[in-house]
Amino acid sequence: MKKIANQILYNLKKEKSSFISFGVIILITALILNCAAVLLCQVDSAYDTKFEKLSTATLNAIVPEVQNSSELEKAIDETEKVEKIESHTAIMTEATVKDFNGADFTMNTVFYNIDDKRTLNNFEIVNESENDVDNPIYIPLYVSNFGGFALNDEIIYVIDGKYHSFTVAGVIEEMQYGNYGLGLLCVYLPKEEFAELADSYSDKAVVEYSMSVKSDASLDEVKDDVSKAIENKGVMALSILDSESVKGTRTMVTDLLVLILAAFALIILAVSVFLSNFKVKNAIESEITNMSVLKALGYTSAQIVASITLPYAIVSLLFAVLGIGLSYTLLPVLCSVLTVQSGFSFAVSFDLLSFVCVACILCGVVSFFTYISARKIKKTQPIDGLRGNISSKHTKKNYFPLEETRGNTKFLLVLKQIIASTKQNVMLFLVSFVLTVLIAFSGTLFYNVVVEPDNFMSALSDEVADVIIYPKSDSVSELELKLGNDNRVQNSLKYMSAIVKIEEKTVTAFACEDFSKVRNDVCYMGENPKDADEIALGSAFEENMKIGDTVRVTVDGITKSFQVTGFVQSVNLQGELCELSLEGYNSFFDQNQTPALYVYLENADNAEKITKEYKSDYTALVTDTVNSYKLQTEAQDMYMGITVVLVVAIFAVTILIVLFILYIVIKSLLVKRRQELGIYKAMGYTSSQLILQTTGSFMPVSMVAIVLSSFLAIYYMPAIYQFIFETLGVMKNNIEISFGFLMLFAVAQILVNIMISIILCMPIRKISAYVLIKE
Amino acid sequence: MSNKKEIIIKATKLKKSFITGDTEQTIFENLDLNIYRGDFTVIMGSSGAGKSTLMYSLSGMDRPSSGEVVWNDKTITSLSDDRLAIFRRKNCGFVFQQIYLLDKMSLMDNVLTASALSGANKKESVKYAKELFELVNIPEITRKKFPSQVSGGEAQRAGIVRAVINKPEILFADEPTGALNSNNSTAVLDVFTKLHNDGQSIILVTHDKKTALRGNRVLYVKDGKIYGECDLGVYTSDSKYREAKLNNFLTEMGW
Repeated sequence: MKKIANQILYNLKKEKSSFISFGVIILITALILNCAAVLLCQVDSAYDTKFEKLSTATLNAIVPEVQNSSELEKAIDETEKVEKIESHTAIMTEATVKDFNGADFTMNTVFYNIDDKRTLNNFEIVNESENDVDNPIYIPLYVSNFGGFALNDEIIYVIDGKYHSFTVAGVIEEMQYGNYGLGLLCVYLPKEEFAELADSYSDKAVVEYSMSVKSDASLDEVKDDVSKAIENKGVMALSILDSESVKGTRTMVTDLLVLILAAFALIILAVSVFLSNFKVKNAIESEITNMSVLKALGYTSAQIVASITLPYAIVSLLFAVLGIGLSYTLLPVLCSVLTVQSGFSFAVSFDLLSFVCVACILCGVVSFFTYISARKIKKTQPIDGLRGNISSKHTKKNYFPLEETRGNTKFLLVLKQIIASTKQNVMLFLVSFVLTVLIAFSGTLFYNVVVEPDNFMSALSDEVADVIIYPKSDSVSELELKLGNDNRVQNSLKYMSAIVKIEEKTVTAFACEDFSKVRNDVCYMGENPKDADEIALGSAFEENMKIGDTVRVTVDGITKSFQVTGFVQSVNLQGELCELSLEGYNSFFDQNQTPALYVYLENADNAEKITKEYKSDYTALVTDTVNSYKLQTEAQDMYMGITVVLVVAIFAVTILIVLFILYIVIKSLLVKRRQELGIYKAMGYTSSQLILQTTGSFMPVSMVAIVLSSFLAIYYMPAIYQFIFETLGVMKNNIEISFGFLMLFAVAQILVNIMISIILCMPIRKISAYVLIKE
Repeated sequence: MSNKKEIIIKATKLKKSFITGDTEQTIFENLDLNIYRGDFTVIMGSSGAGKSTLMYSLSGMDRPSSGEVVWNDKTITSLSDDRLAIFRRKNCGFVFQQIYLLDKMSLMDNVLTASALSGANKKESVKYAKELFELVNIPEITRKKFPSQVSGGEAQRAGIVRAVINKPEILFADEPTGALNSNNSTAVLDVFTKLHNDGQSIILVTHDKKTALRGNRVLYVKDGKIYGECDLGVYTSDSKYREAKLNNFLTEMGW
């Protein structure tokens, strides 16, 4: 044992810097993998714990108060598997929050009375003002974090054009709603403020039924049963949310992040395996004499294999532990970012299971593949190694004989060197190819978020005009005329959203006079509705419906049949939406409903001016105006910021890995070719020639891999992005794979590689011809 | 006589020392030496006397600690590493005891790798390489083999071809037969003789009398200086007189 330990120490000391470089790559892998593992293990349980702690209802149905009755309550209560029921009155309305992260933010909002007694859907006040404030309001964590509202800040809600100013008295955490993705948010008002609002908007009063279901129940079935029970009473539910859908929406980004981090870590792990194999094979080749001497002295093959494998296992384990430790400095940052998106706060703690799994995976995979490479030594007879028969066996064919091959001799020497270093070049090819996937991924993301932001935004958002004008009921035509005469306006469209019921499902409906003119066509299959009896359904319906089917749509208690023309997507509504023609939507009413006017400008920079102008100049015609271009650009800026950080991080990590890989490769190469380089120098080759020749022996392979991977990215990158977007519920994305941009990133990667290689090859200058004499 | 010949190398006040920790070990000091065109100069001396170090200092392969080495009026001791490499490529050819052929290249490729530096036409280089291989008696089939597939003698003769392919002013050889058996040694030494007879200037380091007999001028290094010099005249294969003269000289030197 002591003998092996000495041998292991000797191997570690001999290639100290290479092992450290290898260790750093393992450290990065462990850091990323542990972040993914901890999030995977803890976010879900943190969510469930908080869900339980706040006694959150598993089903929540909201109905108009005017339609509510004790019979309805009884019907819901008697639904099979419903364990407990609790009802609360509230105000539900579309409301616009002013200066939400610098823009206007419109969302369906439920206003609750904070003083209501609750046994279900409790909330936790995470931050509360110590002072008494005017018009207090308690906002959810999501609105506070994402909208940028702190305690004692003023927050203005605009409902039907009327401004309501509140002061943030507290921030609450609840598990019933949560984030923008649900299409519904909540706020809490003290008794007096709630009563005042309820008086003003009695038509928007709702009753919420919160239910807990029995543990053996199927949530989907109970949801269907509750929907039927409500429908049977002739009531139209405004919303039925189940806890699983809420959880899915709130943890969607976390799941996606875990997926990306894990994929990223596995790619780097694959690179580490290539690298350790290369190093082991190289070590066997250059150390065969020493190993044969050890064999001749009586060391067993197993002992020698252990002395090669164990240093990698030890280094992997040590640096994996270090990386796991470091990941706990990154995790709080990730948690705070995820808290903003998920709308619930959570902190991660040391996770023993993740620690053991990550350390074992990294150490195990590296040890296994190192062992596979090292066990070849078992077949080597000591005498073959001592006579140097191993290396001569490899030299069987003289590729590009200088005498017979046409071409410049120095160029042919580079080609010969490439052939002579086949194993190294295969490894470099694979590593470069794989790392280019990361670069191509970040390059594509950069292009679609920063260079062509519409591509990315259109995948995540619904229809976004530059300005939205809410006309008074009889002023639509007059406003349309004015907009038509305004040379700053390209066109305007009548557009509106409402809550409708399709079969048993309550969804958001978007109605437009002409969907072919919208900027963001969300229809990914079939066609948008044109006629009064046509409908395009959200992706949530795709499983059970097909184009040509007839569906029943209920609005305000009136049910009509529509023919499905296509399917549309919405990341925010989880596919639970539909599109109707304006004519189709109005067919439910005796009188046409007042739509919003979506205004598209010649120059979006005028949005702010036009928003203010129409609001102030046409008070008789306009209820409210929204600068949605600003909202869009704010969101765009946020995505751009995140993307730039992500792209720079991926690029930096990739370059760091490339640096360490090239360091290990070049260092091994210089050790292995030390004598050869001395011979070249004795012949009169200059250091510069040898640096270029050495760099030239592996750079072309790396360059080919980078260019090939970048080129193939045109084919594989759409699939990767399609997969990611589908995870988000986006079936059709406009992500563009820019060949020019991929090549630009490839060239940047190649230039960085060349630069690093030349710098790392500089020690060739220190190898003198005199090395031959001294050795 | 040697002193009437043209000087190629003029070394003045050469000093070479190595510093190990606090101790300075001087190999030679205040050494003056001229090397003449057309001479086959043999450097002899006991082990560790510094004969190889002297030869490499003269060739620009190693830098002396102080002093000056002038080649045809050009001082090489002040040249940068890359300039020295270019200088060596134009003026020097080296043959080593351990041969040092590039093991992943055939004998012919080893030679052509060196010729690539001269800037000569490739066809002419191949033609000249073939002539030299003929001269050193390596058949075409062997030229295509790798160093590990030929005998030590053949490899060393290929090493000589590589050393002279660029027609160097001086061919430097460091114990070229040190690792060879008797037959192979003779074959290699015959090549040196042939080259010298064709006008090639040679500096050869050896501790072998038989090898030294091939030269026309023998220098003996001892105590860090040129302790003695012997003019053996032109080599003939059975000159008892030259052998006796060398024996006397070496006895005188304390060999």
